[in-house]
Amino acid sequence: MAMSKIIEVKDFFYHYSDGTEALKNINLAVEEAQRVVLIGPNGAGKSTLLLAMAGFINGKGTVLIDGIKVTKKNIKRIRTLIGSCLDNPEDQLFMPTIFDDVSFGPLNMGLNGEEVRKRVEETLKRVGLNGMAEKAPHHLSAGQKRSAAIATILSMAPKIITFDEPDNSLDPRSRDNLLALLKNLSQTLVIATCSMDFAGAIADRAVLLDRGQIIADGKAEDIMSNNELMKAHGLEVPGRFM
Amino acid sequence: MHHAHIDKFAYQDSPVHRLDSRVKLIVVVVFTALVIAMPKTVLSVLFCYAVGPFVWLVIGRIPLKFVFKQILVVSPFILVLALSSPFYDRSPMNVAFGPFVWQTTAGWMRCYVILGKFTVTMMALISLVSTTRFNDLLVGLQKLGVPHLLVIQLGFIYRYIFLVIDRAQHILRARSGRRLRNLGFSRELKIAGSMVGSLLVRSINTAENINIAMQARGFDGHWRTISRLRIRWYDFVFLAVSAIYMMIVYFIVLPFLR
Repeated sequence: MAMSKIIEVKDFFYHYSDGTEALKNINLAVEEAQRVVLIGPNGAGKSTLLLAMAGFINGKGTVLIDGIKVTKKNIKRIRTLIGSCLDNPEDQLFMPTIFDDVSFGPLNMGLNGEEVRKRVEETLKRVGLNGMAEKAPHHLSAGQKRSAAIATILSMAPKIITFDEPDNSLDPRSRDNLLALLKNLSQTLVIATCSMDFAGAIADRAVLLDRGQIIADGKAEDIMSNNELMKAHGLEVPGRFM
Repeated sequence: MHHAHIDKFAYQDSPVHRLDSRVKLIVVVVFTALVIAMPKTVLSVLFCYAVGPFVWLVIGRIPLKFVFKQILVVSPFILVLALSSPFYDRSPMNVAFGPFVWQTTAGWMRCYVILGKFTVTMMALISLVSTTRFNDLLVGLQKLGVPHLLVIQLGFIYRYIFLVIDRAQHILRARSGRRLRNLGFSRELKIAGSMVGSLLVRSINTAENINIAMQARGFDGHWRTISRLRIRWYDFVFLAVSAIYMMIVYFIVLPFLR
């Protein structure tokens, strides 16, 4: 059975104000419930592509989310479909308490207080932060901050979640917890990462980007086990594919 | 990194911790106004005013050492003002403290009063922030009609001040790790300027990312929160006791000592 395309990026170009081309002729389609990793060296354009998907930057070309074109007019609808988890949880958690942070999105969606409270409680339980609603973000560990940042997105129940370097600054235990959490999510996941072991452990599909272009796109194992390809773009084959 | 948070005792549990933040805010604002408005000639009434915050701190199990440390941290600003008073007003003045009467100058009197008022109002303020979670304070301020934008700004300051301090410390550490000799005042000043600039650029970057995080969650310029504050019977008791205490000091003790 053919899965429906939930993300479509067609002939997309983007350049920074100084003229640097960040994305060149990007064509990408992601199917529903797929777990896609965007891999590539630093400055490859992974984070910029995530920003383009969520409508934070406007380039030349088309981005469709669940069939809806990403435009200024549709942005409110787009934001309920795609949740963006930034690379630094400190930026994601901007409210004084975890409860306020996790309830921020649902409240903006217009849900009533009772529903919001229910969502916050359920989401915190899901990410393993039960009973921490009243904590201030600066009282959490790095792993807990990452979980809380994910909870802020999950509480909005989006169809797609994008993650920018989600395993950044996590110790192995926190990274394993994060992997377990991500594997349990039913949403379409698009993860930008430089960590090949992390990417190999989570992805169905890998998209290799370098200098703003898609170099390879296919089954994660096929791409990430290709030593020559990986080395040519400053990457390494993860242990599990050696 | 570990920081000495101003509200580090706010997560304890005690009768004063359980009070509604709005009630505590109102009491502290009125109390502070009364102390500030106190005539400068009646120094001894300050001891009566100090009883209120002292009892509050004791009930809240806030260590007095912590309170006085906090007062000392902010005292340099007020010390400059207080200690300059004796220099510009040397007119003689009699001071009475109970049965004791002695002569001093109006400048010294002003100095004592400034220091006394500062200590008592700071005690009240620390009583408030040490027994109230900062978030509840913000919600309380919002409910009491403080402009929304100001409350949001306060929330962001509280949320990110520690992060900025951390970054500043990292920059300073990186600098001291490579500071092998004194480069002279002008060169050091230039380096300090670069460090401040770097901190500013990083802060702007953080602000942009926060903006993205807010927009990603549907922020449209309207700040929506769920209030979890509730006024209960003991809030009314606290309000009544505080009002009676302040009225006794203001209407009975103050005229008696004047």
